[in-house]
Amino acid sequence: MAINDSHTNGAAARSTTNSTTTTTTANSSTSSPTDFKLKAGLAQMLKGGVIMDVVNASQARIAEEAGACAVMALERVPADIRAEGGVSRMSDPAMIKEIMATVTIPVMAKARIGHFVECQILEALGVDYIDESEVLTPADMVHHVEKGPFGVPFVCGCRNLGEALRRIDEGAAMIRTKGEAGTGDVVEAVRHMRTVTSEINRAKNMSDMELRVYAKELNCSFALLKQTAELGRLPVVNFAAGGVATPADAALMMQLGCDGVFVGSGIFKSGDAVKRAKAIVQAVTHFRDAKVLAAVSEGLGEAMVGLNVGRMKEGEKMAGRGW
Amino acid sequence: MTRDIIVGVLALQGAFYEHIKLLQQAATEVALNDGQRWKFAEIRTVEELERCEALIIPGGESTTVSLVAARSNMLEPLRDFVKVRRKPTWGTCAGLILLAESANRTKKGGQDLIGGLDVKVNRNYFGRQTESFEAPLALPFLRSKVGEDGSDRFNGIFIRAPVVEKLLPVIRGEQTGEGAFDETVIAPAKAAEGEKAKKQVLRPVEVMATLPGRSRTLKEKIVALGMADEVGDIVAVKQGNVFGTSFHPELTEDARIHIWWLEQVRDTLEDQDQDR
Repeated sequence: MAINDSHTNGAAARSTTNSTTTTTTANSSTSSPTDFKLKAGLAQMLKGGVIMDVVNASQARIAEEAGACAVMALERVPADIRAEGGVSRMSDPAMIKEIMATVTIPVMAKARIGHFVECQILEALGVDYIDESEVLTPADMVHHVEKGPFGVPFVCGCRNLGEALRRIDEGAAMIRTKGEAGTGDVVEAVRHMRTVTSEINRAKNMSDMELRVYAKELNCSFALLKQTAELGRLPVVNFAAGGVATPADAALMMQLGCDGVFVGSGIFKSGDAVKRAKAIVQAVTHFRDAKVLAAVSEGLGEAMVGLNVGRMKEGEKMAGRGW
Repeated sequence: MTRDIIVGVLALQGAFYEHIKLLQQAATEVALNDGQRWKFAEIRTVEELERCEALIIPGGESTTVSLVAARSNMLEPLRDFVKVRRKPTWGTCAGLILLAESANRTKKGGQDLIGGLDVKVNRNYFGRQTESFEAPLALPFLRSKVGEDGSDRFNGIFIRAPVVEKLLPVIRGEQTGEGAFDETVIAPAKAAEGEKAKKQVLRPVEVMATLPGRSRTLKEKIVALGMADEVGDIVAVKQGNVFGTSFHPELTEDARIHIWWLEQVRDTLEDQDQDR
């Protein structure tokens, strides 16, 4: 409840520290079912929408006017992180606060993989969602953040079903693909979505005995795998992310079964950000209507330059971060 | 010949699929006349809207839904649906904001409203995501008093939820009085067509649910806003055949409100059919 927030947040932060230091097994049971329903519920409200990366308040306003259903506040968009290199961290709280004060839509922010103190800080700021993101430099090469005890919900990336269910087990209330951020090349996001779908399809026809073996193979929880098999989809909302640069890319990911789309560098690294942002929003709503897609794809100016993922070295890819 | 009674769920953005699932569950409990059957559809275009007898505007981001509706040329047809022809409509959370005749704390520059309920809605009244909450609500209007869990309460899920801050006088034109306040937007006026529709829009606004005790715990906030705190926060209202809730029944598996609402839709249709 609202009135007790500062108190419970403090408790959550403490128990996170404890659980991370005293236990090695992933366990989301520290989050009550009530909390989880509220966390996953906000993601359900974002469905059919576009979440845009923004680096300052004026970009956040452009995103809001374009019809973004949320914004992701970060210091540098992935394309710049790639170009400039160095260690990439959580953004300056002052910048996040300014964005929160400027727009009325939900504000998300990124924390480094495993960096639970960055998450505690973001929670204290009152952000609406935390992205434990491979786009930033990982802070822990073994552990992810224990997300269940936090009051704020988390979104995490995945390349396959096992990775998605490990993140959900840790308490993630929303999943996204781990497409190569900052490239403008959608190929990896497509690969991840297709992999998750085909693995769910395999699981759907399995008996419990087979599911136990499959859970071992995917390195995930049997209970979550069984729930996924019964639902025929991930038990939480699943967005596309990484490499989405055009309305057609966005609609492609929707037709492949994504619930919505994150767009990072694709908007503010393109020629006409305002027009492109609006076009991608329309494309996600009318993702099956080719006439609308044709109309909104017209005259958008230059798309972001783009990097061909096929020609990148393994070490340059971000998707491999996360365990 | 079978006549389909099409109930639409606006699918521009948000949790529309969840409503359709609960409507399908509710439909088995709400009998129609011989030869009629319920049909539920996602609505993204004017053509799809034209086929509907009733509409749900789901939870989502009201800013997004409003902008996408405008760019998809849906805003005027939606106003026509709700205010001119006065067809049964229900909005949840973002949907309630859009159905309000007046709203405040919207984005900079305001946002377009559909209107239909003579109320003023305070957007994101309950704050950010970390202040989202669940609360058991008393909803005496439900026919099935007890839910599947044996409770006579309905689990209200409030996510960055709005509240009905004020019931407005029922007037024919725009709520210009509210429009005079800073940072408050109002819906444009639309004259209802036909006797039945005219009667519906002049019905009083009924408070259908409140959060008692809530206003006491939030006392500081309310004093700051200069609001009266006697009744508790208003979280559901109905004006004739237009209904709004600031919480999300679509995030539960409890179809009781959907059953009640489909019965209301059916009764409205029967009323119309008698005139034909």
